[in-house]
Amino acid sequence: MSDLAIGAAMPVAAPVARAAEAYNMDVVKKFTIAAMFWAVVAFLMGVLLALQLAFPIFNLGLEWTAFGRLRPVHTSAAIFAFGGSALFATSFYIVQRTCHARLFGGEALANFIFWGYQFFIVMAALSYVMGFSQGQEYAEPEWHLDIFLTIIWVSYAVAFIGTIFLRKEPHIYVANWFFMAFIITVAVLHLGNNVALPASFFEAKSYSVYSGVQNALIQWWYGHNAVGFFLTAAFLGMMYYFIPKQAGRPVYSYRLSVVHFWSLIFMYIWAGPHHLHYTALPDWAQTLGMVFSVILWMPSWGGMINGLMTLSGAWDKLRTDPGLRFSVTAVGFYGMSTFEGPMMSIKEVNGLAHYTDWVVGHVHSGALGWVAFISFGAIYYLVPVLWQRSRLYSAKLVAWHYWVATLGIVLYITSMWVAGIMQGLMWRAYDKFGFLQYSFAESVNAMHPYYVIRMLGGVMFLLGALVMVFNLIMTVRSASTAVQPAREAAVAGA
Amino acid sequence: MHEQTSDLVVGLLVLILGLVGLVMASGALDDAMYVFGLSLAAFAVVFDLGLVKRHFDRIDAAKGGSHV
Repeated sequence: MSDLAIGAAMPVAAPVARAAEAYNMDVVKKFTIAAMFWAVVAFLMGVLLALQLAFPIFNLGLEWTAFGRLRPVHTSAAIFAFGGSALFATSFYIVQRTCHARLFGGEALANFIFWGYQFFIVMAALSYVMGFSQGQEYAEPEWHLDIFLTIIWVSYAVAFIGTIFLRKEPHIYVANWFFMAFIITVAVLHLGNNVALPASFFEAKSYSVYSGVQNALIQWWYGHNAVGFFLTAAFLGMMYYFIPKQAGRPVYSYRLSVVHFWSLIFMYIWAGPHHLHYTALPDWAQTLGMVFSVILWMPSWGGMINGLMTLSGAWDKLRTDPGLRFSVTAVGFYGMSTFEGPMMSIKEVNGLAHYTDWVVGHVHSGALGWVAFISFGAIYYLVPVLWQRSRLYSAKLVAWHYWVATLGIVLYITSMWVAGIMQGLMWRAYDKFGFLQYSFAESVNAMHPYYVIRMLGGVMFLLGALVMVFNLIMTVRSASTAVQPAREAAVAGA
Repeated sequence: MHEQTSDLVVGLLVLILGLVGLVMASGALDDAMYVFGLSLAAFAVVFDLGLVKRHFDRIDAAKGGSHV
């Protein structure tokens, strides 16, 4: 891995200036900008929804602004728009750099993938607000949008895998294995879960070929593996490139990365039924999902151990490189949420946790702590490199972003833990006559203070993201971050 | 892949998508399909015009002319 051997914690502009001619960095820049834009949109929508849950008056009495329609806008903006754009940017950057090959398919294909994906996101969000949805979590877009996304996704696969075929390095770096698993599996999941019969070619309405519990099982096979392959495997690919680069150290154990890759992708695909405990799904299938979820803990932690141990001998860089701090904290959150997930899949724990806000807290410890933080770390690394700047505009602002966002996550997940466990206990409490002790409305009322705390946590996370956007815009525009000719010459000669 | 081949293949694909969008909009039975169909057609027009622009930009650049 000659590219990783450079191991520069500080972005270096000159080699990139040379590489920019050989690689398609234009599409990486576009997706990086899109990731930052959608991050702010997703967090803003999250804050609005948290506000609506705490104070329902903010639904505004309009169908377009009701929680039910805006919730998929938030989840799609966070997962597919922000997370997806960050993954497109980093995967296209990594595959070109580690294969020493220009992106396959030319500029036209890369631009089609970028603009087509943005078009899909806008159209999907618009359809949710207008009240059109398949009603399946994380798979809300109707059939015509599903087909359009399939075309984009196949184009992505062609560009990425085509670049792998063009590689000048004999070895396929482990990050690319994670990205390939992500691309192929998401394609299978998307096609499998969205098999539907349109009511008409001219109507945004379709009926799934699956019904009843089969529909639920397929939906959660899709939903859980969207988490597993979109939000886990792909971001592990990001981790395997950027943490070694930021730390200036090789991956702790290449063997561990290969072992945990294959075990992770084998285990994850079976874990979906744990979303359907105590339902009409046959008991053996529920138990199967639980067992695979618990086994999944080990390959998940294989990635965490590898990420953290890569810092061996370079922990001091956490003091000087706040971008690296994001990446390492992300791995910590990854470890925490991949312990919490298997624990919550155990039937007895799930009996308390399911349908409560504990699940919401769990999802956000992964989404904010892992997905967003690892993306922030990568973006802080990428922006000076892509725009050929000597450094970030302000390391102090990165530190402010880090602490404000971290505190925001802590407020979010702790309030949801307390709220969720309280909900679960209230719902199962009986009085001495055997009647339920609390009505559902009483449990909703008890949640109010925690919903307000959760909203404040979300506001802090949003503020942190705005600080990041300001810092990165200034990094690109400020004269103080321009590469000095003397330094450029020195680096070019190095 | 050669840039011109890429332009041609992707340009044709987007052209077909744009035509499908127009057909969908023409017979749309609800707002979502109408908005999607028209937007897809507009997307295709803008995207293909972008391809044409880049094609002539490349020719100008090869001639050493202005690259505006």
